[in-house]
Amino acid sequence: MTTKKAAAKKKTTKRKGSRSATSTKRSTGRRAQNKAAIRKRIVAAALSLFQTKGFEATTTKAIARKAKIAEGTVFNYFRTKEDIALHFLEEEVDQAIASVRDNPSLKKAPLEEKLFTLVHSQLEYLAPYERFIGAAFIHALKPASPLGIFSHRAQELRHRYIGFVQELMDEALPKNRSPFTFLAPDVFWIYYLGALLYWLHDSTPGKQNTLAFLDRSLSIGISVLKQGKL
Amino acid sequence: MPSEKTEKNSSARRALRMASMSADIAGSYLGYLVQRAFLNETQSKTKLKSTHTRAARRMRDEMQALRGPAMKIGQTLSLQTGTLPDEVLEELTALQMEAPGMHPSLVRAQVKRSLGAEPEEIFKDFAPEPFAAASLGQVHRALTRQGERVAVKIQYPAIRQAIENDFSLFRTISKPAQASGHIPKAAIDEMEQQTLAETDYHREADNIEFLEKSLAPLAFVKVPRVYREYSSDVVLTMSLMSGQHLDKFLAHRPSQKLRNKLGSNLFELFYYQVLKLESFHADPHPGNYLFDNDGSISLVDFGCVKSLSPESVAYLRSVFLYPGSRESADFRRLLEKHYRLAGQSLPLETRRALIGFADNFYRMVYPPEENKQEQLFDFGDATFLQKFLRESRNLFRTKGVLTDLIYMGRTEMGLYQMLHRLKAQLPTSQLLRKYL
Repeated sequence: MTTKKAAAKKKTTKRKGSRSATSTKRSTGRRAQNKAAIRKRIVAAALSLFQTKGFEATTTKAIARKAKIAEGTVFNYFRTKEDIALHFLEEEVDQAIASVRDNPSLKKAPLEEKLFTLVHSQLEYLAPYERFIGAAFIHALKPASPLGIFSHRAQELRHRYIGFVQELMDEALPKNRSPFTFLAPDVFWIYYLGALLYWLHDSTPGKQNTLAFLDRSLSIGISVLKQGKL
Repeated sequence: MPSEKTEKNSSARRALRMASMSADIAGSYLGYLVQRAFLNETQSKTKLKSTHTRAARRMRDEMQALRGPAMKIGQTLSLQTGTLPDEVLEELTALQMEAPGMHPSLVRAQVKRSLGAEPEEIFKDFAPEPFAAASLGQVHRALTRQGERVAVKIQYPAIRQAIENDFSLFRTISKPAQASGHIPKAAIDEMEQQTLAETDYHREADNIEFLEKSLAPLAFVKVPRVYREYSSDVVLTMSLMSGQHLDKFLAHRPSQKLRNKLGSNLFELFYYQVLKLESFHADPHPGNYLFDNDGSISLVDFGCVKSLSPESVAYLRSVFLYPGSRESADFRRLLEKHYRLAGQSLPLETRRALIGFADNFYRMVYPPEENKQEQLFDFGDATFLQKFLRESRNLFRTKGVLTDLIYMGRTEMGLYQMLHRLKAQLPTSQLLRKYL
């Protein structure tokens, strides 16, 4: 798991190109490493507070205290606590994408299995912070919220996600699709939000209903897509 | 043809399909009932047969599309001899050994959720593709860290809730069959209870350990070993058994001698359990037995182990190979005593059916006469199976059968079906007497 996460991180940093830590000198490399470690510490502290105290009640001051750094240092990394939350969600999406892309056994797997792995690894990643995610879900519905579906950064994240789903679908689905199939990846985003809500409300031990729900709904969904009915 | 994947459905779709299936079946049964009023008796009979077959085929197609728990109902129904017409049974037996599939990622997620680690972390080697289907899940080969070959049975997630849903639907859709007496309500209750019990692999592990210990005296029976450390309520790890399923075994054209040996072993296994252990492996479908060329039998799948009351066993001992006339007052007293001890009264119709059963079936298959002890009974001749079906149907129609004997009858039917396919020739009475 940790190696997967590291691989995911490497990918995202690489994608950022010029800012890449690995391409510069060793000393700056070490500094970047330090920075990454502090960033990680802040996110971990924030998340544990979001989970226990709630998102609203958590202040940047409390986050700094928990991470054992000065409050000012926090601002060097994140402007607001919403920024921290978004950073976490970006990591969540990146690791989920990596869990599909970097898994050799999934290379030849059917589309439904890839999508299952994608959503399942997102939920696994979120699992320790379930309470916070539940609150963030509501928070994100506010139009002005930086976490929300209308914020620029959240849109960027969504595009990255949808883009990946598009890739998977293009590989697997027949080319002569119905004119509406181009909507499928966006529809999948809504499906993911539905699955997240289902998962949040799933009280069965080990959330086994969610597993069954994902498996069955993806099977139907993909079969509908394959028949070109969407 | 829709692919396997398209057949799997969400519970909503499932409900819809169940409902449409119910409409169709109700339609055909009701159609029959209406038409009957206008037909004379002989026509009515052929009409009934075609209605049944159509209903059965429809039911099987639907159930195969639904997969999962409905399959289990189909399987159980297909073995509920006497409660269903032959044509329906024939169609439903085709459902045996089918199950819903899980892709490797779902398997991994399910194992992790249940055992706390992924199968690749737990085992030295784990086959991502299953090698066998179990009706509530699937079975994978694996190698333990110590190098032991094991079979890991993994249940489809949330199957229990799904079964509960299916049964409530099934109760609704089978109303016509319940009303016509084809599927008694008690049979559905029993089936639900049993199917739900089978979703608990802890319980199954207990069953295996019980049989492993108590079947030890029968050298020809092999029971797997449970690995509790790699098992949970939905994952069951046991040692991998050798041998072949009946179909495959028969494809190699085994000699009459070998078939007799296996038949005799199966026969002894059954009566040893019923009469000595007073409890038995009651899931008689052929997929649960593996046959070896040395005549040994391996048991797999232990979801259903039933026990009999000591009174029932004493009753069986007294009526098996009953020497005198079964029309006699003494035989009647034995039947009445059995019902009295079970706290029920013996209806006249049931008594007649039981006597008929004893006379028409048991006397033929298990001749009680002293001079016929070594006589071989040829199970290859299908008439005995038809007799068994006819007599048990007569008996079930009277609705007076005691419940613990329902399972015994079901298992007995499974035994006879296997003996028939083996075309075994056995000294039935002699073998039975060993355990009386």
